[in-house]
Amino acid sequence: MEKFSNGLTLFFSLLVEAIPFLLIGVAFSSLLLFFVNERTLIKFLPKSPLLGALAGSLMGVFFPVCECGNVPVARRLILQGAPSSVSIGFLLAAPTINPVVFWATWVAFRDQPEIVFLRVGFTLLIAVTIAWVFSHQRDMRPLLQPAVARQMPKLRPPSAPANPLLRSGTFLMRSDGTPLKLDDPSAQSLIASPPAQPMVVKLQLALDNMVQELKELGAVLIMGSAIAAFVQVAVPREWILALGQNFVTSILAMMLLAAVVSICSTVDSFFALSFAATFTTGAQLAFLVFGPMIDLKNIGLLLTVFKPRAIFYIFVLAAQLCFILTLFMNFYVS
Amino acid sequence: MSVKRPRKPATAPRKGSTAWYRQSKLLDVLVLLAWSLVLFRYWITGKLFLLLHPDYMWLANGAAIVLLVMAGFKLVQKQTIARDTAGHTTLLPPQVSSFILLAVAVVALIYTPQAFASDAAIQRGISDSLTLTRSQPQRFVRQTASEDRTVIDWVRTLNVYPEPDAYTGQSVKVSGFVIHPDDWPEGYLMLSRFVLTCCAADAYPVGLPVQLAVSRQAYAPDTWLEVEGKMVTATIGGQRQLTIEPTKLETIPEPRNPYEY
Repeated sequence: MEKFSNGLTLFFSLLVEAIPFLLIGVAFSSLLLFFVNERTLIKFLPKSPLLGALAGSLMGVFFPVCECGNVPVARRLILQGAPSSVSIGFLLAAPTINPVVFWATWVAFRDQPEIVFLRVGFTLLIAVTIAWVFSHQRDMRPLLQPAVARQMPKLRPPSAPANPLLRSGTFLMRSDGTPLKLDDPSAQSLIASPPAQPMVVKLQLALDNMVQELKELGAVLIMGSAIAAFVQVAVPREWILALGQNFVTSILAMMLLAAVVSICSTVDSFFALSFAATFTTGAQLAFLVFGPMIDLKNIGLLLTVFKPRAIFYIFVLAAQLCFILTLFMNFYVS
Repeated sequence: MSVKRPRKPATAPRKGSTAWYRQSKLLDVLVLLAWSLVLFRYWITGKLFLLLHPDYMWLANGAAIVLLVMAGFKLVQKQTIARDTAGHTTLLPPQVSSFILLAVAVVALIYTPQAFASDAAIQRGISDSLTLTRSQPQRFVRQTASEDRTVIDWVRTLNVYPEPDAYTGQSVKVSGFVIHPDDWPEGYLMLSRFVLTCCAADAYPVGLPVQLAVSRQAYAPDTWLEVEGKMVTATIGGQRQLTIEPTKLETIPEPRNPYEY
């Protein structure tokens, strides 16, 4: 009974901590939907897969969301037709490479600044690599949940010129001379609304979208937090920590802990701090780099976008790269 | 000859869509309102202290306000848009999501969070070797009067200089809850506190041994005690440890904020 009570307290504490960040995430995602033009966004993105991956990874600087908030934004990017390298790069790097998280890590590891910079560096390296790998999958659709794939804009042939007028589909010419693609879901809802007060209507649509995303991602977050709370209560933390004294197992243990605890990236550095003396530097880095990319709570959210197969690829790639990099740290640097 | 029945349209029937819209809008408002209430309840009753580090409380409080505002907007919003429900991305059907959110919010409104107690401390592995210290050197104020130190201050100090004899005779006044570690003799109990770095999910216990003149059964686990006394060194379970020899042991009510940071 006590255990059940502890589990519930843990569960609500995870939720109370994550809900504000989820709110920030869906707010950014909704604003992105209605105030950022798909074409403008994609026009600014580099065409090369590698540069696209880099750009996507660095986009987190403008969207300070943690890993509960980045999934809605990444999904929006995919729906708006951003290249796979950009959206995957964003998905993996944004929770770490953003001002809020950088600041939090800086506060926590003030006397070990190398951890702060290595965290950013390793995350960037891993995110760009994985995004680059995924960019070879030109059509993302087979990796996406069917419902997401259906909403994606039609794939443009690779030879299509940048000129949006030459794209296939039905367009309307707007008063300012720009075309509006009709089969774009956001355009459809925009057309369906009276054009008299565009700002008010846009805000209303943004609110609607926010509520809808909050509802579905909130429910998923609840299930993820429930699992994380259950594992924490049922598995003694000592078991996980007992693994973690040597160079190799300490990294594996911290990666496992990161996946299990499912703590928000904005606050995980404070948590990692509590292992600062018992664990190797590499292990702490593994926790800080791997946790924001993949964790139990986050897998639920990812399932709203990707098929399990794609999540498995991302998971395996991220885990291996993270392991190798931090192992290198342990053996040769610290 | 049987005629194939025409398949039902995938989209919700437009007929009666106003009623459907009103219903689903009401559900949205309820979900938002319920979660806003949950957060407001934690805020007002102070139970947020059991769940979050005070540094992050403004986030939860802000979320409570934002959710309330959203619920308000949603309530007064007129049906302006024909909502496209057919193609929306969902892992769960929207009704199921709303139901889960509402159900959990109701549980959160009924259930009062409990501060972690001795069983959680034992399960999480209590230690007197706190590892948090290194990165918060500003907390080591050598001049602190020894009786002003909290349990965690003591453990931090011990971490820097672990020799228990160095502290012998210093006066001490700390409060915490009682743990009966299994492998300790009857004459000792542990006075413990949970340390929080961000939320209850990462709470971990630290503690100091207390030497008793009587059996520890006089102080049940989870009782909150304020202990005044002197520091001594005792060998407990084959390990030399800094131990409190109390001159005064007083039962106190559980503090509003049971954690330390």
